[in-house]
Order: sequence, then C-alpha cells, then structure tokens
Amino acid sequence: MTQESFKEDHHLSAKLEEYHVDIPDFPMKPSRWARFIRFMASPAKDPLEPFISSENGVMMLKFVPIMGVAAITLTHIFIH
Amino acid sequence: MRLNDREDELMIAYQKGDNEALEGIYTLLKPPLYSFVFRYSRDEHLSIDIVQDTFVKLQRHKHDYNPEKGKLKSYLFQIAYRLLITKLNRRKRWKKLLPFLTPVQNDGLHLSDRITIREAIAKLPDTQRAVVLLYYYHELSQDEVAQILAIPKGTVKSRLHVAIKRLREELEGNEYDSGVF
Repeated sequence: MTQESFKEDHHLSAKLEEYHVDIPDFPMKPSRWARFIRFMASPAKDPLEPFISSENGVMMLKFVPIMGVAAITLTHIFIH
Repeated sequence: MRLNDREDELMIAYQKGDNEALEGIYTLLKPPLYSFVFRYSRDEHLSIDIVQDTFVKLQRHKHDYNPEKGKLKSYLFQIAYRLLITKLNRRKRWKKLLPFLTPVQNDGLHLSDRITIREAIAKLPDTQRAVVLLYYYHELSQDEVAQILAIPKGTVKSRLHVAIKRLREELEGNEYDSGVF
C-alpha cells in the first residue's frame, strides 16, 4: 500500500483532510510553573457527581455531616 | 546516500555547535510534532508538554542523532511517541488511584464533519491510530513508521489495512445514519 493508493479513496481522503489542527504559540523551553498552573486550571471530574445526580445521593450528602457530628458528640459523651 | 532535508542540515549544524540552528529545527518541526500528538491524544496541554519534552531530550542527547540512520523528523517523532506513551500510561495509573484529579478531555470543535472524522480516528485502537496518523498526515514511509513505533513493517501494513477499513465503516455508517446516502 502506497500513500497514493491511500489517497485514491477520495471519500476517506477528503474526510481525513477535514481534520485540521490549530498550532498554539508556545516556547521550546518548558516552564514548571506554567505546567503547574495548567494542571491546576484544567477541569477535573467532580468527585461528588454520582451523589448529586440522584435524589437519594443529595439527601445522603446532607445527612452524612449531621450523622458525623452526632457520632463524634456521642463518642465524647461516652468517653467523659 | 539519501538527500538531507533542511531540518537534517540544521541538525548537523547544531551538532557542530550552532545553537541558533536549534531554533530553525523547532520552527520547522514543532507543527508536525504537535499535530501528531494532538490528533493522537486530543489533549492540548499534553501535546504542548510532549513537544517541549521532545526538544529537551533532543538537546540533552544531540550527539545521539545519526543522519545516516534516518531523517531528523522520524527521530523526533520516535522520541515524542515514546514520551507520549509513557505519559499516557502514567496518567492511566493515576486515574485508577485518584480519578477526580485526572483532567477531563475537552473537545472544542463545533463542525459536525470534523467531529465525525475526529471521533472516527479517536475510536481506532491506539496502535492503529498511531499508524494512520504518521502515514497519512505526516507522509512518512512504512519503513519510517515501523522505525518510529518500533514494530515490523509487516505489522505497519496490516494495522493500516485494518484501520482504513474501520475508518471507512465508521464514516459510511455515520453518513447513512445522517441521511447523506
């Protein structure tokens, strides 16, 4: 298979040609600080998303802190 | 003996101590390297990091390049591909350990046709995607692709064959769905 024969498939070739990439302007030398900022600024998955998406999950998120505080209070009462 | 490209001549000058030649190499080879990594990973920040790291490695090991063994372009693609695979594997491990710290991919295209070809390429298995990108978009020979990916030439041929078939099916399927045919 040669590149020419690859391009003989005009339909596929035309589709592949549509995939353009814009080259951003960036220096040759990497900057640790710039990478750190990019890492911090990049969107990440919300760890609470599975809870927020369901009604039970939202209720659980509301009650977990209350239960936690209650558990700590009870522990303190029993210790003293 | 093969004819040297402009970047090969600049590399020879750089090896002889002409530091300005490195800027010329960067100007010539940054776009193809970035395009390859971006089309493979669809991650702008990762692509920038890989291109920069490739040039750091080139500077550190500038005397390792031998123009008799191949083009500078293939040599840099080889470095970039290895760095990319290492980084993606590391990212996969982190994703398993701390899923919420892994960056979410953001596709910024709006044209439906572009999304179609992007998605069709993205759906290819990693190994097939690399072969198509290097062979089609960067017009490298099968020998050069084999050298970059460290696989036999026969494997390049078979992966290309399967990848093209899959791309055709994917794109035709999509057009049938959208009523083009």
